[in-house]
Amino acid sequence: MLINEDLIVLNLPAKSKEEAIQMLAEKAAAAGRVADIAGYRDAVLHREGEYSTGMGFGVAIPHGKTNAVTEPLLMYATVESMDWQSLDGNPIDVIFMIGVPADNAGDVHLKILANLSRRLMKEEFRTNLRAAQSPAAVLKVLQDYEIGL
Amino acid sequence: MQTIQVTVPFKEGLHARPATELVKVCMTIKSDITLIKDDSHVNPKSILGIMSLGASHGTALTVQVEGADEVEAIEKLKSFFAG
Repeated sequence: MLINEDLIVLNLPAKSKEEAIQMLAEKAAAAGRVADIAGYRDAVLHREGEYSTGMGFGVAIPHGKTNAVTEPLLMYATVESMDWQSLDGNPIDVIFMIGVPADNAGDVHLKILANLSRRLMKEEFRTNLRAAQSPAAVLKVLQDYEIGL
Repeated sequence: MQTIQVTVPFKEGLHARPATELVKVCMTIKSDITLIKDDSHVNPKSILGIMSLGASHGTALTVQVEGADEVEAIEKLKSFFAG
């Protein structure tokens, strides 16, 4: 499983993109998926520096491919609306953060991104996701749409 | 309508930076653009659309452009996929 309830945080108290990524990296380490918090955080921030992962519809998908990650992971968080330098110029309130070990063969994270993108284009999915009020409820929505299995 | 066949030249695949750049190129084009991989047809003016294809390095894609600036547009897209 790429995601479980330990990797879902509702109302993450972050005030900026940097803070959100730091907090989620810590959470990933606590869940045993990341060996080096700073290493993972820096890989994700480096990517963000090259281009924004704000995808529109209020959703950001930061991601990092680094050996600081020990096992592929997908995290979900909701935050108070914040700027993510999205292409569409709008703030975000939902974050999906992906981590994949650098040595991971093939295109695992491309597949995760493709699947997630396909779902996110559907309004019904976005509505159901934002309506979920507990980690268990979020996980149920993701499973209903076959994400993160 | 103008159609070209291309392959993804970017080693990281068509996501991230290349996807962002493709959206920017497409936003300068007025015509309707369709990016096709197998049975999936998407609008490359949307980053989610592009990423939903999961097109890795070397993937074959078809690009269709239809509209007033299609000739100029197809040249822009050719040059984008030249890498």
